[in-house]
Amino acid sequence: MNDYESEDTLFHSLAKICGSKNITIDPQNLKLYSNDMSFFKGNSPNLITWPSKTQEVVKIIKLANQMEFSIIPVSSSSKYRHHGDTIPRKDNSIIMNLTKMRKVISIDKKNRVVMIEPGVTFEELIPKLRKKSLRLLLPLYPTGTKSVLTSVLEREPIIIPRYHWDTSDPLLCTEVVFGTGDLFRTGTAAGPGTLSQQKKVGQAHVNPMGPTQFSPYRVIQGAQGSLGIVTWATLKLELVPTVQKVFHYHSNNIEELLDFQQKLVKYRLCDETFILNNLNLACLVKKTRNEIEDLANSLLKWNLIYILAGRGDLTNDKLNYLEGDINDLMGDSNLEHLESSNLIDRNEILECTNNYTSEPWRTRYKCSYQDIFFISNFENISNYIKKVELKYPENLGIYFQPINQGTSYHCEFDLYYDSKNEKETKDLQGKFNEISIDLMDSGAFFNRPYGYWAKEVYARHIEETSIALRKVKSIFDPKNVLNPGVLCFDE
Amino acid sequence: MLQKQVLEQFQKIVGPENVDDGEVMTNAYSYNWCMEFVNSMEGKEPLPFSSIPKAVLLPSNVEEVQQIVRICNKYNIQFKAQSTGLGPWNQPSSDNCVILDLRRMNKIIKIDERNLFAVVEPYVSGAQLQAETMKVGLMVHMPGAGPQVSPLASATSMNGPGFTSPHTGHSARNVLGVEWVLPDGEILKLGSTGLKNNSDWYIGDGPGPSLRGIMRGWAGAKSGIGVFTKVAFKLFPYPCSTKFKLSGISPNYEFEIPDYMKLYVIDCKSYNHLEKVFLKIEEEEISFICSHLSSYGLGAIFSNSIESLLDKIPIVGMKVPLVVLIAARTKREFEYKQKVMSKIMIDFKLENVIGSKYNPNSLFYAEALRSNLGLHGFIATGGFQSSKGQCDTVKVCLKTTKMSIPLKKKYIKRGVIGNDFGEGVWITSYESGHYFHIESPTMFDQTDEKSVKGMAENMEENHQFDLIKHLGAPFFVEGDKMHDLFGPEMMNYHIWLRKIKKAFDPNGIADSGFYISAK
Repeated sequence: MNDYESEDTLFHSLAKICGSKNITIDPQNLKLYSNDMSFFKGNSPNLITWPSKTQEVVKIIKLANQMEFSIIPVSSSSKYRHHGDTIPRKDNSIIMNLTKMRKVISIDKKNRVVMIEPGVTFEELIPKLRKKSLRLLLPLYPTGTKSVLTSVLEREPIIIPRYHWDTSDPLLCTEVVFGTGDLFRTGTAAGPGTLSQQKKVGQAHVNPMGPTQFSPYRVIQGAQGSLGIVTWATLKLELVPTVQKVFHYHSNNIEELLDFQQKLVKYRLCDETFILNNLNLACLVKKTRNEIEDLANSLLKWNLIYILAGRGDLTNDKLNYLEGDINDLMGDSNLEHLESSNLIDRNEILECTNNYTSEPWRTRYKCSYQDIFFISNFENISNYIKKVELKYPENLGIYFQPINQGTSYHCEFDLYYDSKNEKETKDLQGKFNEISIDLMDSGAFFNRPYGYWAKEVYARHIEETSIALRKVKSIFDPKNVLNPGVLCFDE
Repeated sequence: MLQKQVLEQFQKIVGPENVDDGEVMTNAYSYNWCMEFVNSMEGKEPLPFSSIPKAVLLPSNVEEVQQIVRICNKYNIQFKAQSTGLGPWNQPSSDNCVILDLRRMNKIIKIDERNLFAVVEPYVSGAQLQAETMKVGLMVHMPGAGPQVSPLASATSMNGPGFTSPHTGHSARNVLGVEWVLPDGEILKLGSTGLKNNSDWYIGDGPGPSLRGIMRGWAGAKSGIGVFTKVAFKLFPYPCSTKFKLSGISPNYEFEIPDYMKLYVIDCKSYNHLEKVFLKIEEEEISFICSHLSSYGLGAIFSNSIESLLDKIPIVGMKVPLVVLIAARTKREFEYKQKVMSKIMIDFKLENVIGSKYNPNSLFYAEALRSNLGLHGFIATGGFQSSKGQCDTVKVCLKTTKMSIPLKKKYIKRGVIGNDFGEGVWITSYESGHYFHIESPTMFDQTDEKSVKGMAENMEENHQFDLIKHLGAPFFVEGDKMHDLFGPEMMNYHIWLRKIKKAFDPNGIADSGFYISAK
């Protein structure tokens, strides 16, 4: 069979599974998936398919095992795809676009949990939950068209560290189709019994651990779609506060802000909290370049935001206790450089912590950006700042997010540039690679190794890690049909 | 006994004084608590002894563990690792097995006050670590088994509910960096611990997928997937003042109750009402302890002897009790939490018997802070073990409780287990009510063959009951027999678990008696 015959066979086989109207081979559509906002270069897919049911996902993966093509799962049709993880690396690849699986299956207020399919976006889910006085544990001002499930599976940091009980939060149970085409459910959703039998006895799939002596959800998370395709998941929710009080402090001394923030997190005094440099805070809350520059120039370099919140009849009592205790902590600490700031309307900040944005806030300043992000302990943060600023002193946005109950930090350096300017883009690409490598050499822990980073990251990690991960790959996707070539899984 | 050449190689690794294959030592190591009913469940004589290990080895560091595991692979000898060693899960399941007693690995490697975690070796006890973390105003999550056990074992290999779980979560979810000797002898370091440069313990996930998912699930692998030689886990703010003033003689100590602690013992009267109260208190994020126990169990946690158990009439008469302990770092926090509790008490028409009808000994508060309430399960008959162990919503926990009462009563009527009116359970919230777990502590007499056999039967019937009624997987789904029973009803997970075992332990060297064999 030649290539055309083989493509034709593939088309017809897939059409039998999900209907020909749910497949396209239109070159313009295909081209959209051959690149993204990152510098990663890959191939164009052979076709795009839109399954709408779990059983269709099962059949397509089984077909891939049989016909030896690769599947790249994509959960949203957002044009703002990044980091190269959905760009095919092999010739014989198809995109499995999950946007037609977009049901909010259940919202359970009593148990603070929602069950969603992969195509559900932030712009759909946030308002639905708010109507029921519930809120998602959000990353910082997510893009509305982004898949909520992808954000969670990729371990995007959430902005309330005290609700980040484990690295995996807010992910709970999942239904997943492994690379073998086998359907599985993780956590308590595994059973015994069907989902409806479990619901009948009162289960809501809120325990992610297991079944029994392993926790497959942990290996699916962070796998960039290379071990299984998640067809629904339950996510942890919190109740919406009736009052939120925003505090903004700025300083030229990052250590002082980090110290103060650490106490807030340690004693679980605040809800949302993060630190941004002046440029990133301006990008977050303002829309135009001029507004961003004006605000950035007015702010001190480092900005700590934290929010206190309360619900119900005792809201004021709660806020009084929290504010009183925080004032005492401030009094006990030596915070010489800290200044309270009123430069930003508090509602503008709440918009960014409670809602979604129509376009990525990081594109507001110069239309384009490349982000370098990793996990660090407290001690190394200042060193990383120095390293990056030395190589990219201008147009640099910085974001520090305490995570996992304050045991580590998501550190992010956003390199802003104009992608229409060829020279600037080329220079930026060089800087991006150079800074990334420099940070890796200094011990920055790139726990989400996308694109070209992956090879460098695993080279700086003990070899046993890659060996163990390849064993995992050989169990759940032995024929390497799911997103081949990502992480340490060679093409 | 070991072959001479194998013994010599082990001696070379750990020193002759740290390996023993003599009858006295190996026989002593074959004893453990609850081994008798495990034997009974397996159709063996109900004796408290497991298979006798071929030898006992006491390695002192990860390199020695690695070398031992390599020798085991070379000579096809299985190993079973144990830390503080409580329970049958520490026992070998065959005669071809050596025990790695990790008691010489007893160091607290690091208490990182700034990044809120501790790194420990296997034989550090919860109490030992807590004493150190209190000095910097922090606490460690301790499992219900008590402060005498190894937090490393709980975090990596066992289970992890604790009395302070509303405030400190579950052992499995507190894990950060891990040092792990795989069954083939390779050393794996999870997360940031595996960095070649500037390695530290602050995160255990990645790069990419988290191998913590292979390491363990809701339950741990009980040494069936290797040996854990160091682990980092989160520390939490100590909930109140760390001044710990104790006087008197064991067991009747006097404890000066720290500022800003208040105990509530409430009769919710019905399980439906309990569900609502449980959820409300936890939504408010105010509790340090929030547990339902049967009225009998409630009496037990306030007692140090059978005699003192009998004088707990005001509380033993309760229908559906809930124990809530609030604790605060400051006066403001304490007043706020009390106000919330007062409002809940009014809204739900509840009464706190503490201070009005009953005042526990001050020692209760010390035991609560040390997660030391589980030991009271031993008071009545000298022995107990928990059936059940499901974990999801409070509703499923309460439904399990109600549905299981007739089953338990059947064995009470036969006189083989202690009489708790069939209601004896412990339910705790986790992470401010995001999930709950239930277990059913069941008292039996370890010295009475009839009682041991009855307990084993009760355990087996509970497993079948939970499976048929879709109540969730209990704690002790471990070993081939149980996995083969539950797996087909749970997405055939046992097939995947076997693949993991085969991939990570190709020679079947890590004893799989309480895990799964590759078959």
